[in-house]
Amino acid sequence: MLLSLIRIIKFSLQDVVRNVWLSVITVTILCLALFSINTLIVAKIISQGAVDVVKDKVDISLYLKTDATEDQIMALRSDLTNMDQIKNVMYVSKKKALDFFRLKNKNNPEILQSLHELGTNPLSPSLVITPKKTEYIPDLIQKLKSLENDIIESRDFTDNTTILNKINLITRRINQIGMLIIAVFIAISLLVVYNSVRMAVYTHRKEIAIMRLVGASNYFTFMPFVFSSLIYTLASILIIISLFYPFLSLIQPYLETFFMGYNINILSYYLDNFVKMFGLQFAIVAFINIIASLLAVKKYSEV
Amino acid sequence: MIKLFNISKSYINGIKVLDDVSLHIRPGEFVSIVGQSGTGKTTLVKVLIGEEKVDEGKVMIGDWDITNIRRNEVPYLRRQIGVIFQDFKLLPRKTLKENVSFALEVCGRSQNKINKIVPSVMKIVGLEEEQNRYPGEVSGGEQQRTAIARALVHQPKILLADEPTGNLDTINAEEIIDLLLRINNFGTTVILVTHNREVVNRLKKRVITMEHGRIVSDREHGKYLL
Ligand SMILES: Nc1ncnc2c1ncn2[C@@H]1O[C@H](COP(=O)(O)OP(=O)(O)O)[C@@H](O)[C@H]1O
Ligand SMILES: [Mg+2]
Repeated sequence: MLLSLIRIIKFSLQDVVRNVWLSVITVTILCLALFSINTLIVAKIISQGAVDVVKDKVDISLYLKTDATEDQIMALRSDLTNMDQIKNVMYVSKKKALDFFRLKNKNNPEILQSLHELGTNPLSPSLVITPKKTEYIPDLIQKLKSLENDIIESRDFTDNTTILNKINLITRRINQIGMLIIAVFIAISLLVVYNSVRMAVYTHRKEIAIMRLVGASNYFTFMPFVFSSLIYTLASILIIISLFYPFLSLIQPYLETFFMGYNINILSYYLDNFVKMFGLQFAIVAFINIIASLLAVKKYSEV
Repeated sequence: MIKLFNISKSYINGIKVLDDVSLHIRPGEFVSIVGQSGTGKTTLVKVLIGEEKVDEGKVMIGDWDITNIRRNEVPYLRRQIGVIFQDFKLLPRKTLKENVSFALEVCGRSQNKINKIVPSVMKIVGLEEEQNRYPGEVSGGEQQRTAIARALVHQPKILLADEPTGNLDTINAEEIIDLLLRINNFGTTVILVTHNREVVNRLKKRVITMEHGRIVSDREHGKYLL
């Protein structure tokens, strides 16, 4: 069995080397397919990151009077929590607001100094509202604007919904187009590998006929071709890995400037998910290629 | 050894290439099958090696009914039946010896076995000197002897030879026939398909004559009739 495996690998390697141009073309096209797919994945990660950034900026807060009692605040909070569109309401007390403020300005000694000079806590307590869905935001804002309650001092609605909707739309488009492109590339890979194996079978038709004549087992006839397609898969994945990381390092600085202050690191995302990303890609491409080569061998060598 | 019971076979166009053929070949026999081209001799050979299936009738090789042989069983049949053709079917980029070893390699035999079997079959066919040459560098007779060596590696009980001398001159042809006779003397059943009159008449062995897919005569110590 091991002996057979070694012989199959030997035949397969001979085949890949002898038809070197065919192999190069096959691997190149597989690389192009993989590159597009990975680019799509990157686009998806970036747009997801953009959505998170903007979501973060959607801020619905009610600022309360400094003399509002804990009881009043809690009553208002539970009223809000009972509203359909609201997922949760976070209470930021005066003290917490001050902590946040300090943290936010920790690199700004002048502000901290003046705060210190003030002696008292000038910040108001607030209720920060998270809606259940971004689509609810305009409606919710409308409701909150007309909300009557003595303890509300001011309302702050930074409405980023339009931009959020736009980004959501773009993300959905990327997903749709992405699916289409992936489907197209899967079809292309299938055809390319099918064709390569077909050509390989054709160049080896005499060998295959003789193998069959002298009683070679069927698996011995087709395994070398299946193995060749695995070699193509492995080669293209390795090439993509070696090309894609430099590519990511190249775009990473631009991303960092674009999403200043937010943590979008595409490079480390890829590094963290290395096995998952490329393992999965290898598995899928290998699966497609094995199917393609089995079909080609079956059709053209009558195994 | 080989029993055919009323076999018939037609290709897509519906014309019967084999028409109600019945035949019994005993172990150790040397049988010639003669007939004009297009009478179904090669088809008969293909039926015997499981490459074509019959439409009617039954095909037995030894105790094995191969009439409806499954694809994955064919390799085992091929290891019991050696076969050679007019066009040798050697791989041009392998030496004679490599061509012979190839047959064992692709059947998963160990290198030890290969090292033992290959020299012995090369000796039987008398190609020890030439074994490292390529098919293009030797005569047709030597190529056919290589093909015979390859057919012998599995020590088959049956050797089928479909027009083995068709591409050879008289002297080379005689050498091949002599080799087949020697192999027959070891006990291997040999079936020789040919339309070479001299060869058949010289053999003085059983001759089966075919015409339009039918057996028209079958005689011991026969002559080429047509
Ligand atoms: N694969 C095939 N498909 C269709 N017809 C075939 C095929 N092989 C052979 N034939 C036809 O069957 C007949 C017998 O062929 P064959 O067995 O090769 O005869 P022989 O070997 O006696 O010359 C011929 O008419 C040939 O054209
Ligand atoms: Mg013929």
